[in-house]
Amino acid sequence: MEAVTGWWDDFFWGSLVVVELFIVAIFLTVLFGLIGAGAKLSGNPVAKSIANAYTIVFRGTPEILVLLLFYFGSAVALTAIAQVFDPEIKFVDIPPFWAGSLAIALIVGSYATETFRGAFLGVDPGQVEAARALGLSNLKTFMYVRIPAMWRLALPPFGNHMLSLIKDTALIAVIGLEETLFVAEQAIGTTGKPFTMYIVVGGIYLGFSTIITLSVMVLEKYANKHLEVAR
Amino acid sequence: MSLNCPLFDCDLIVESIPKMLEGIGLTIELLFESAVLGLTLAIILLLMRISGRWYLVAPTMVYIYIFRGTPILVQIFIIYHGLPQLDFVRESILWPIFREPYGCAIVALTLNTGAYVSEILRGGVLGVNRGLTEAAAALGLSVRQRFIYITAPIAIRLCLPAYSNDVISLMKSTALVSTITLLDMTGIARTIVAETYAPYEVFISLMFIYLILTWVIQRTFGVVEKRLSRHVRSEV
Amino acid sequence: MSENIIQLENVDKFFGDFQALKNITLSVKKGERIVVCGPSGSGKSTLIRCINRLEEHNNGTIVVNGHELTSAVKDIDAVRSEVGMVFQSFNLFPHLTIVKNLMLAPRLVRKASKAEAHETAMRYLERVKIPEQADKYPSQLSGGQQQRVAIARALCMNPKIMLFDEPTSALDPEMISEVLDVMTDLAQEGMTMIVVTHEMGFARKVADMVVFMDQGEIVESNTPDEFFDNPRNERTKDFLRQILTH
Repeated sequence: MEAVTGWWDDFFWGSLVVVELFIVAIFLTVLFGLIGAGAKLSGNPVAKSIANAYTIVFRGTPEILVLLLFYFGSAVALTAIAQVFDPEIKFVDIPPFWAGSLAIALIVGSYATETFRGAFLGVDPGQVEAARALGLSNLKTFMYVRIPAMWRLALPPFGNHMLSLIKDTALIAVIGLEETLFVAEQAIGTTGKPFTMYIVVGGIYLGFSTIITLSVMVLEKYANKHLEVAR
Repeated sequence: MSLNCPLFDCDLIVESIPKMLEGIGLTIELLFESAVLGLTLAIILLLMRISGRWYLVAPTMVYIYIFRGTPILVQIFIIYHGLPQLDFVRESILWPIFREPYGCAIVALTLNTGAYVSEILRGGVLGVNRGLTEAAAALGLSVRQRFIYITAPIAIRLCLPAYSNDVISLMKSTALVSTITLLDMTGIARTIVAETYAPYEVFISLMFIYLILTWVIQRTFGVVEKRLSRHVRSEV
Repeated sequence: MSENIIQLENVDKFFGDFQALKNITLSVKKGERIVVCGPSGSGKSTLIRCINRLEEHNNGTIVVNGHELTSAVKDIDAVRSEVGMVFQSFNLFPHLTIVKNLMLAPRLVRKASKAEAHETAMRYLERVKIPEQADKYPSQLSGGQQQRVAIARALCMNPKIMLFDEPTSALDPEMISEVLDVMTDLAQEGMTMIVVTHEMGFARKVADMVVFMDQGEIVESNTPDEFFDNPRNERTKDFLRQILTH
């Protein structure tokens, strides 16, 4: 384990990158999930077909393929565009951070679409009727009645989505993002101890998963506390 | 014969697809082997997990926690890049497996899917109505008999949807073996793209191939589910 | 003293801090029909579930058919194969046809051959008057039919004792009598029965003893006539008032 000394701060910075990725990706995931669920529930046939295509494509394609496609695809497009302006340019890419977070958010967003859709459908229609009968506008009903109810149902599966998300961040190393796996590779280069280094990476991710799982447990308790009291 | 497509290089698509399909054998082999081995492992883990004996339950829970809490890519790297660092691995009789990327891939995929599937099986077992096992107990069936004749058949049907999703995940995970030099479909695609700088044509066609595979898996499970559910209308 | 086929002495049962059974002493003779009644939470289900050890009692002794109920496994399976139980929610095995439901235990526990088990099964299906349903699945039968199948399933093991845990409480009213009829026939053939039920008509007609339980204790027990016409305890009177007038 002494081999790792000297590399701890690099791993730390790598972990920070993971955290940044995760935060960006969560926002995008929730966004895509809500848009997708909204489209599927909207009744508009065009929106529904697009949303269906979205979920089918992104749930059926390997994550690494989506990443490669996004990154190299965007690089090729950008490079072509840039070369129009300056033929000397060899390669322009979207930074792996953004290509990566967009890609994994789209992937997990397709699962989140189904989760949110199911959760919206699971909201007790009686509650919504009561809100309308009380005179709450559509928007207010949506914000104060539907969303809280939906969130409670969506939380457990969404916790799983978050776990998928944090684990998918590791894949972004494949397109060159300098996070923990990258640090590990450098460390292996100088220390010659791949097992040790990759175990450290594993440990970092295990730590993140644990934090997420515990946070979800706390959030679930909070979301359900009004039910606890009734017992 | 030259196709004239406006935006994409269709010739390249037509050329690449057969090349990538050369890798489909490997993809399916990996999927099948690790699915079968993983299921076996999952059943063993399940039995340990529900045994009630702490010395079996605790290690199982730790195992599942680790393998579901870390990225599969990292698990693959630990096994393929990492294990050769350890002397006792290089000197063991299992070394021939770990020396080859294929062996490492199978081990990693199996260990990973085993953890997930055992939890899925456990979900099925927990979903079996308690009254049914009580009725079996009241009739005098032993613990073992109850599990085999009552719990297992019902649990299997209950966890099929989740299990089919896991098989699809496993199929998607096989693409990761391209990172440890194996030439499955993704691996071949990457080499083509590296040569031709045409990510759209190659990767998008590959995507369609995977989507077809996904569809095949879903349909197969759909048929199995239908067959197993013919007696169900509503269960007490 | 004629043998008691079931003997409970000073039995306590706790669920955590909650005491479900308090110092229960009860004897049942062979061929006796006992009805146990009482408000919910009184411990009546717990009582009969202790007799076939679906629940484990904490204190006191329970002796069933000569076997004392302890944690030794051999005893439990042996006891259970001689004690039949019918549940409120039928608990028929959904993945097996009716006849297979009946054949399962005789084949696995008594090691009967397929032919023997099938013959026994059909015989009991005739007894409960639904032999034509043999190859259907439980989900295709009505509640009353399912419960009759459940009774037949228990009878296939030739039990010495039959326990009934609110057998008609989950049934639509029009199906209750078909099940009670089967139970009455069974009683008239001399089966030792303990029935937890609210069906007081059945109790009056069939029971040798009615036992009233409340809050984990046996409050009063008597012959049906005495019990219904001359209840002695205040709690018994309250209970009877509630269930007999609504």
